[in-house]
Amino acid sequence: MDTRDRYESDFDSEWCPGCGNFGILEAMKDALASLNIAPHGVLMVSGIGQAAKTPHFLRCNTFHSLHGRALPAATGAKLANRDLTIIVNSGDGDCYGEGGNHFIHAIRRNVDLTLLVHNNGVYGLTKGQASPTSTVGMVTRIQHHGVTSDPFNPLAVALTLGCGFVARGFSGDREHLSHLIQAGIEHRGFSLIDIFQPCVSFNKINTFVWYKDRVERLDPLQERAPDDRQRALTLAEQTGDRLPIGIFYQEEKPTFMDRMPGLAAPPLVDRHYDAGRLQAVLDS
Amino acid sequence: MATDITVKIGGAAGQGIQTVGAILAQACRLGGLQVLAVNDFESRIRGGHSFVQLRISDRPVAAPSRETHLLVAMDDNSVARHGDTLDPRGRILCEASNRETEGRTVFLPFTEMAKGVGGRILANTVAAGAALSLLDAPLDLCRKAVAEHFGKTETGRLEKNLAAVEAGHSAMAAAHAAAWPVPWQSTAPATILMDGARALALGALAGDCRLAAFYPMSPATGIMAHLASLADRFPLAVEQAEDELAAANMMVGAAFAGVRAMTATSGGGFCLMTEALGLAAMTETPVVIVNAQRPGPATGLPTRTGQGDLLFAIHASQDEFPRFVFAPGSPDQAFAVMQRAFELSDKYQVPAIVLVDQYFNDSLFTIGKWKSPESVRHYVVADGDMADPAAYRRFEAVPDGVSPRALPCRGQALVVACSDEHREDGHISETIADRNRMVEKRNAKGPAMMGEMTPPERYGDPDGLMLIGWGSTLGALRESVDLLRADGLTASALHFTDLWPFPADAVKAALEGARIRVMVEQNGSAQLGRLIREQTGIDHHGAVLKTDGRPFYPADIARQAAAMAKSA
Repeated sequence: MDTRDRYESDFDSEWCPGCGNFGILEAMKDALASLNIAPHGVLMVSGIGQAAKTPHFLRCNTFHSLHGRALPAATGAKLANRDLTIIVNSGDGDCYGEGGNHFIHAIRRNVDLTLLVHNNGVYGLTKGQASPTSTVGMVTRIQHHGVTSDPFNPLAVALTLGCGFVARGFSGDREHLSHLIQAGIEHRGFSLIDIFQPCVSFNKINTFVWYKDRVERLDPLQERAPDDRQRALTLAEQTGDRLPIGIFYQEEKPTFMDRMPGLAAPPLVDRHYDAGRLQAVLDS
Repeated sequence: MATDITVKIGGAAGQGIQTVGAILAQACRLGGLQVLAVNDFESRIRGGHSFVQLRISDRPVAAPSRETHLLVAMDDNSVARHGDTLDPRGRILCEASNRETEGRTVFLPFTEMAKGVGGRILANTVAAGAALSLLDAPLDLCRKAVAEHFGKTETGRLEKNLAAVEAGHSAMAAAHAAAWPVPWQSTAPATILMDGARALALGALAGDCRLAAFYPMSPATGIMAHLASLADRFPLAVEQAEDELAAANMMVGAAFAGVRAMTATSGGGFCLMTEALGLAAMTETPVVIVNAQRPGPATGLPTRTGQGDLLFAIHASQDEFPRFVFAPGSPDQAFAVMQRAFELSDKYQVPAIVLVDQYFNDSLFTIGKWKSPESVRHYVVADGDMADPAAYRRFEAVPDGVSPRALPCRGQALVVACSDEHREDGHISETIADRNRMVEKRNAKGPAMMGEMTPPERYGDPDGLMLIGWGSTLGALRESVDLLRADGLTASALHFTDLWPFPADAVKAALEGARIRVMVEQNGSAQLGRLIREQTGIDHHGAVLKTDGRPFYPADIARQAAAMAKSA
């Protein structure tokens, strides 16, 4: 039996044929299988959007929360149980718009989780509004004269914040993406994987072909982690006809939980109430 | 004749008013007296006007009194502000050099004396010593009070403050006899001084809270400051979030993963948290939210008190779902209510909201000893409790609505929860059957939740005039009843700590016989009165309402209520 079968969910998919989410879903299963993480050994946390439905389409523990709030929910879960393997599925609107503030501060904390942002440059679930990563000039039912604001650059922002794992993938290159996801899960600390994907229904500019013509793998996944942040920033600012994909930057540093001296093992959820300990405080 | 003295210390923010109050409060405690210290301050760090008023007695005090017996004025503005509250025999202690006593005003050069013992910053401690002398406190009690207050600071600082309090005390004792015969005792005190915020923090620990996520907001921050100071000794994480949305969602995420979690905020922060409240309800994740109320709307009066969020707390968030709402009236009640909030939220898998306010959080109360609970019961299941973990459904439709709650990544059972409407197994669903099933299931918890509610408590005679209130006005209500009865009226108070689910049957029974029902609330529309009318059909006859952000004085309540009784 293929160990990938254990992730198969019988919950019917809600995505359009050709949606980039399918590629991301399969790459996730590949990564989990390679790492031999059982369904019951992972917690997937998501916000709201088509991307955020991902956890329903594989077998795993799931906390499908509110629009923009996946990262705080995941942070809370991590505080409660530091041993959790957490994957967050979010979208460009969910993570860089509604959840923008949490994106910034989760990176500051260096919470040990893997964030997959299904970046399709549009709001799919709500039918086609612009998102923070939409191309300038893109016309939508709301932005009749085309998007006017400059796009959010998630990799550059993450690098500037000192994020310890910054990567970009493409839903159409499943093999490459699965390696990125695996590396992200293995990385101790906050791992950002921004994933280009087409939205066949609502984004007529950044189509599958548009991405295929532009993405290029940074280099064969090298053995040594890329440690040049300035180079990474330069790559992140390449937003024209050559779109690099791969691990832009990696650095291990103390995680959110490492930095809480009082919260060393065992996890909070395994600790116990002690009447005497409280009575000593009440008596003082 | 019982002792009942009010000392008011007034000055500008930054003059150390609260320190004077704290030293006096310690002296009272160590001297075997009861004290209630109420802080009044503005939303600023320097300047303006703030004051502390201490009500001192040999009997328990649970509300402030307007009449001032000793006004310690750290600046002239304080005399202008509070001079008119002085009792006929009241005294004013003021800063001035080389000035003779003028009638009831006594002068001492606090700052000059402070410089003599170590620096102008000690002026407030000098004033504290002088005030205690006027209150007939022995010097050695003053020294003990200072040691108790400054005990944990660096050594030099304590010595200087001891010298300062002695200087103030001696100078005053040499020039003036004590103004009032306060019965200071020398036996070891059996009481503790506690601010309301600390009572809530200790209650949270007694409820086995392990995650407190918050965003700073007056007057709630003190709760988190107390928890943070204790966190090293407990399995507790205190995390300051980037905003209230993060705080509330962290709380839900942590509870989902298996620990008791809470947040504390004020009305504006609670506004931001309402969606997360709904998330907790939809995913049936237990959480405790403390709303320390202050006047609004919007930024309102950040450092003042109010009770304007009762109906908001009961109805907050879109659509409908069961929840608990509590409002403790004293530190003792707060310690108990927090434990109940965590317990019941866990047991029924619904959110619990605890309403307090600035008056409660920032006042210093005299309390007795508390006991920690022997054990804390948790309401979760694991693989071992299931016939087939692989078939576990988090939202199984059980008759009482409380589906067995497993935790993620603790065994084979997969836990799936989402904020959309869902199937029993937690996956998204829009079908009519699933929607109706889940709405019914969530609501099915209602009757049992109602069974957990404590009816309002009555104090006083069953018939006649009834003062009805909730939350932190407990002390003021009871004292108002005492004042009314002393004037010959038949009066009682009915005080609510459990607001939702609303125990309508018990309330109807409690209201029976009360000839005149008068609401006493710190909001503009008598929100509890509206709730009682909605839930029982019984209306009130009048209301004593206060929306100026300051705490109630019992005499004011009694006067207004008596007038209503006369004209009824």
